[in-house]
Amino acid sequence: MPSTIGEATILLPQQIARDAVINVRAILTHPMFTGMSRDPQGSLIPAFWVNEVVVRYGDREVARFQWTSGISRDPYVAFALRATHEAPLTVTWKDTGGGVYSKTADIKFSA
Amino acid sequence: MDRDLLLDRRSFVRIGTLALAAIVGGARSLGAAGPDELTDEVKKVLAQHFGMRTIVPGHVTLDVPDVAPDSREVPIFIEVDLPMAPDNYVKAIHVLVDHNPDIYLAAFDLTPDLGSAAIDTRIKMRRSSHVRVIAETSAGELWSASRMVYTTLNGCV
Repeated sequence: MPSTIGEATILLPQQIARDAVINVRAILTHPMFTGMSRDPQGSLIPAFWVNEVVVRYGDREVARFQWTSGISRDPYVAFALRATHEAPLTVTWKDTGGGVYSKTADIKFSA
Repeated sequence: MDRDLLLDRRSFVRIGTLALAAIVGGARSLGAAGPDELTDEVKKVLAQHFGMRTIVPGHVTLDVPDVAPDSREVPIFIEVDLPMAPDNYVKAIHVLVDHNPDIYLAAFDLTPDLGSAAIDTRIKMRRSSHVRVIAETSAGELWSASRMVYTTLNGCV
């Protein structure tokens, strides 16, 4: 298990053409505890998971995900995006402990 | 028991492999055409989220392994072959797992800006179960796909 929580990565294609539908991959380091697992001493580990993800492209919200702890540890999600203009793409993850983690990648067209 | 009938380890392994192949083979044919009964719990969750609206199989591609070696990380790929136009689009993808503690696992709210309704992620499964995906359009139609996934290592983490 990674020792840190909230390390975020966004992966975009190396070449992006205007108006192309691209694949965006986003991953966050997070334990996603269900509240039903136990530590090595046998105590229940309290529930702690990412319950909301918001994707913004430029000034628009383009997607919003509602998750339970049924999403795997270090949650990975990939989705499509139509690259209509050059603008920052920001993914924000929120967890049940009040944590907010954010990462931005720039959508830029290849020359 | 007759000693001659006792199996040596090698033939035991061989029979075990055949049995597993038979189970997996059976699973494939079941998944394709066999019974796919909704449990009362799943019916309740569907009613909570979709009321009495009709859910029709189709337009959704659900790619999951038939057998998941690690039930803590089951890859799931969803693609919906419906338009993503401003006035007619897939506004949400819902994921349910019949035998998980939380049957309703996730909702992915989408917009036409995405250009395509496709989601790729990894989910946990408590045990072998149907995985169900429901795509909801802006017009209120509900399209679905379901697949049986067999897990070989159970447990919640």
